[in-house]
Order: sequence, then C-alpha cells, then structure tokens
Amino acid sequence: MAGILILNGSPRAPRSNSRRYAELFAKASPVPTETVNITRTNHGELCAKAARYHDVLLVFPLYADGIPVSLLNFLKSWQDRLPPKKPRISVLINCGFYEPEQNDVAVAMIEQFCRRTGCTLGAVLKIGSGEAILDTPFVFLVRRRIRALAAAVTAGRPRVLQVTMPIPKRLFVAASAVYWENYGRRSGISKRQMQSMDIEPQPPVT
Amino acid sequence: MKLILSDHPLPLPDLGPEVRFVDLSALRIAPCTGCFGCWTRTPGRCVIRDDATAVYPLIARSEAVFYISRLCYGGYDTPMKTMLERAIPVQQAFIRLLHGETHHVQRSVAMKQATILGYGDISPAEQEIFRRLVGRNAANMNFAGYRVLFAREADLEQTVQREVTAWLAS
Repeated sequence: MAGILILNGSPRAPRSNSRRYAELFAKASPVPTETVNITRTNHGELCAKAARYHDVLLVFPLYADGIPVSLLNFLKSWQDRLPPKKPRISVLINCGFYEPEQNDVAVAMIEQFCRRTGCTLGAVLKIGSGEAILDTPFVFLVRRRIRALAAAVTAGRPRVLQVTMPIPKRLFVAASAVYWENYGRRSGISKRQMQSMDIEPQPPVT
Repeated sequence: MKLILSDHPLPLPDLGPEVRFVDLSALRIAPCTGCFGCWTRTPGRCVIRDDATAVYPLIARSEAVFYISRLCYGGYDTPMKTMLERAIPVQQAFIRLLHGETHHVQRSVAMKQATILGYGDISPAEQEIFRRLVGRNAANMNFAGYRVLFAREADLEQTVQREVTAWLAS
C-alpha cells in the first residue's frame, strides 16, 4: 500500500511525546500515513496491518539504554509474521538526554532486527532532549528534521538525522531541572522531595 | 552485598549470606508504564506494587552484580529488560554531567562491579551491540567496572557455575 504506517512503541503511547512526534511526522509526510499505538494485546492486528505497507516508521523513546520492552515484544511477534515482501523500517527515536547519540544502541537493535528478518533499515532520526524540546522555542528545529525524515522515508533514502537543543550542556542540565521541578509541582511534590536519596521508602502511616 | 539476577532458574553453589539470587522467571513483574510516578509523585517508589519493588532496592544496594539474560536483537530479552526498566526509581528525574555526558542523578545506589552474561544463539553483530549496550548501562546504572560474557544456551549452566565460583572468591 502507498503510504507509511507509523507505529508508536512508547509504553505510554496515548499521552507520550512519541505521539507528538508521530503527529508532526504525519503532518510533514508528503504521502498518506496511518498511526497506531503498539499495545500488549494488538500485535496480531498490527502485523496484519503492517503487511499492507511497504514503509513502516517506528516511533519510540529510549528506555534503559535500549528499545522499550513494549516495542521489543512487538518485534518478537512481528518477526514470525512478516510477509514474503519485507517492509522497509524507519526509526524516529527520542531520549531525554541531551545527546542524540545516546539513541545509537537502540537504533542498532532495530538494525539487528532488520538483519535477522530480511527487512531493510530506512531513514533514522535521533532526537536528544526529546522530553522537553517540543515545548521550547527550538521546536522549529525538530519540525525541520522531521520534514527531512519524511522526505527521506518517502524517497526510500537511508538517511541518518539527529537534532537536540542548540544550547551548552550545562544550560541544558539547569533547564531540565526547572522542567522536572515544574513536573513534580503539578503533583504537589517539591524539588527537595524529588531529590530524595531513599529507594522504596515506606509511605507515611495515615 | 552481591546480587545474581537471572531470567532463568539456575543450580548454584552455596552462595553464603552476602549473596542474593533472584530468579526473574519466578516473579510477577509488569512492564513500566512510563508514568514518571517514581520521579515526580512518589520519589524512589514505583507506583506499580508488584515483585519489582523488592528487586530494585537490591540492585541499588549491591556492590557487585551478575546479570544473566537471554539476548534478543543485541539487547536483553523481555524478562531482564522489563526488570531493568522497572528499576528507574533508583534514579532521580534530574540530570547531571558524567564524563561530559548527560545522565540521571542516582539516589543511594552503590557503585558496583558488574558481570553481564548474555546467552543464546548470538551472532558477532549482536555481541557487538550488547557490548555497546552494557557500556551505556555502565553510565546509567553506576557500574564502576564491568565484564561482558557470552554463552550458548547449552553451555549456560556450566558457564554460570564457573563464573559464580570465581566471582564469589573475588
């Protein structure tokens, strides 16, 4: 089928940054797209759907230095149900760290999936500072790279792109502290509480 | 304390009181939902109250860890990856610079020596990816040093016995 199937592999797909990246990609794509979230129970449905597309874009966050287990489990299901004409698989990955290169190992895992299954690795976009960049003035950089990714996927060009905030790392560290402090405040948790060194503390008796 | 974390039950020599063995296949551990609750609502404490909540404090306390996992696409297969993703309460949301690179601030996590054994039918390309992965883990999981080993499934028990014996003596 002409067009691109976008699979959102984020564990929190419906309210994830990956969903926002997928939406930007869909807007930038010169060809029709269809976006579906990977869940624990829809692997069969997704495999059948993916069989109708030549191009599949995996959108997901870096998780514990690799691909999230939600996506890993789907790939294991997909591996055994790929059609004879294998798809081309492109990647849009984001991590909360500054360096887009921290996504490299996860991309290598997708490449290994392709190598094992006979699929082709298409274009790749690695996003650093991906937790927050969409809500900063630097969102235009992300949009620009996603347009380039969409053009590469459509043209079948195996391009590797990356983007992060164009600020010094120390400023990124400071800005991310403010981001997380505000995140905690929405739940009534102070920065000091978030900085607790305790692991698995017992909740206060009420 | 030392920790052996395996995705698989294993016959092991007497480990003594300072070593804990955790067989992930015997535990009930749900995948991380990415809610950030352990960073922003109940810091240091996962909101999913299953068996993972007993394991990540052990990971944090251990000065030596031995992880044993089947590999898939050059990474940990599902049981170990699920557990490692559920271990993020040991980190804070906040970011620091470590060797010039951004990483999460750790809570009370001991620096540790790690031995990581990947098993299965592993190609040279997968071995290379896995070495890179463990290198990344080192920065994010407080490894002061690490070794990466590989074994075929048929040789797993023998390899583990040999390594554990040497590891306990170290």
